[in-house]
Amino acid sequence: MTAPGRIGLALLLALASFAIVGPMIAASPVAQPDPLNGAFLLPSAAHWLGTDQLSRDIFARLAYGARISLAIAAIAVAVAAMVGSAVGLAAGSSTGLVGRALQRVINLGLALPRIIVLLVVLAAVGRIPPPLLGVLLGLTGWPAVARLVRGETLRLAQAPYVDAAHALGAPPARVLLRDIFPGTLPALLVATTLGVADAILLEAGLSFIGVGVRPPDPSWGSMILEARDHLANAPWLLLAPCVALVLATSAATLLGESLRRSLQPDTR
Amino acid sequence: MLGDAGRGQVNVPLLQVDGLVKHYRGGGMFARTDAIVKAVDGVTFSIGRGETLGLVGESGSGKTTVGRAVLRLELPTAGTVRFEGTDLASLQPAELRALRRRMQIVFQDPFASLNPRRTVGASVAEGIEIHRLAPKRDIPRLVGELLEEVGLDASYARKYPHEFSGGQRQRIGIARALAVEPSFIVCDEPVSALDVSVQAQVLNLLLDLRDARELSYLFIAHDVALVRQIAHRIAVMYLGTIVEIGPARTVIDAPKHPYTQALVSAVPEPDPTKSTSRIILAGDPPSPANPPPGCPFVTRCFHPMKDARCTAERPRLRLVEAREVACHYAESA
Repeated sequence: MTAPGRIGLALLLALASFAIVGPMIAASPVAQPDPLNGAFLLPSAAHWLGTDQLSRDIFARLAYGARISLAIAAIAVAVAAMVGSAVGLAAGSSTGLVGRALQRVINLGLALPRIIVLLVVLAAVGRIPPPLLGVLLGLTGWPAVARLVRGETLRLAQAPYVDAAHALGAPPARVLLRDIFPGTLPALLVATTLGVADAILLEAGLSFIGVGVRPPDPSWGSMILEARDHLANAPWLLLAPCVALVLATSAATLLGESLRRSLQPDTR
Repeated sequence: MLGDAGRGQVNVPLLQVDGLVKHYRGGGMFARTDAIVKAVDGVTFSIGRGETLGLVGESGSGKTTVGRAVLRLELPTAGTVRFEGTDLASLQPAELRALRRRMQIVFQDPFASLNPRRTVGASVAEGIEIHRLAPKRDIPRLVGELLEEVGLDASYARKYPHEFSGGQRQRIGIARALAVEPSFIVCDEPVSALDVSVQAQVLNLLLDLRDARELSYLFIAHDVALVRQIAHRIAVMYLGTIVEIGPARTVIDAPKHPYTQALVSAVPEPDPTKSTSRIILAGDPPSPANPPPGCPFVTRCFHPMKDARCTAERPRLRLVEAREVACHYAESA
């Protein structure tokens, strides 16, 4: 693995442990007993990153936000990877009408603007729990994975060792599961890692415009949304979630690109 | 050994191929013409039990496509392939899979023909598992025996393909084919990707296995010298058709088709006292998408009697001096 890849992996692991451990060591994320005197406090020993307009501890909200944002991203890429590889494998391995129909479905999914679809759905259903938001992101993100897996399936189906399996009399399902699917995993891993960055940004964007994770639930996007109103008098409110976002997306991208270089040296 | 004379009289041949045709739609969306590539254009031959037919020809002559179509790894455009009297096209998919136990293939490229993500043992055991040839607990022992039969150590089963040389991998590929106890194996240029020093070892292994297991081979190669060592009969392909077929010695010692003569003349002569005149063919073979109307070889033929008949009428295989040859003027070759 390249040095940037190791940095990315270390950063991602650090952020993940922050999401797990942070809420345990942080102060309560809810409003302090004295909201008037406790608001807009600068960083101190009691509040490591200060407090916000409602006297809530920013470090605590950042930690809970990490939990929510990273969990949503993880659910989103898991759903996209599962649905995408199932559809991609089916599309790549079935010939004739089924294969062509599935390819049309994938192309249709790719053609739909993801953000618009999400806006419409979220506007229609209103507030939804974060895990469900992750599922929704995954259900709009699978076509890109499916296109990739379909291509890999088509490529691997030409491999002589796949011919050998057919010649031995292996049923098509066995060939698909034992010889073709494992071959798609490197590409899937790369796409999924890069997809984490996408999902984090998408969730933050949706939460920022108020349709994703909605206040008072903390997510990095909704924290930026709330901090925006106090940009002039308390800029540190904005700083913390923004830095977290940049770190998380950069880490996933660095790791993904590094994995691509070592697992798929023939691409790019 | 079953010569041409014995064919059809004793029993049914193990493999009977009749009028095999494989055409590919060429061109594609942006090509000016929707050309049809005639990779295999009417090929007929048979292979008896324990017999080896050598199939030789240059790249693009369609010999590999014949091997693949015989095993139905590609669906023929026309023609029939009968294995032990059964028309393969008449079988349901499950029936065909069951029959695949009896006919196997060894591939040209030993680096691409083994799944890099599975252990050697898993690859060799594949056929045994698919056809449930042995209880699960016996499989490791059987795999070890197969590896030893092809000259490898039984402990190699736990290793991955990338840990082996080309020759070793080819032996693994052979063990994988043997695992289902076939009676017929298509050897698709099994040694052409190997170092010369290793070629002879793998060829000898194939010869030993043939004797020990009474195997029949369709041995595909572009090297006549190689085929002479293993084949009982030999078929020479040019541009998708067989131009000469007969007993290996007869065809190689006294070829009647000009193309066979050119191929045989390319074999190095080990005896320096013998004079050899190598025939260098002019030009390249025509595109199989646009073959000449008469004899497919007419564009490169050096036969002194070549005339208008050769460009107009396609010669059919006919019996000339103990072999079949597709040349209008084979008698005077």
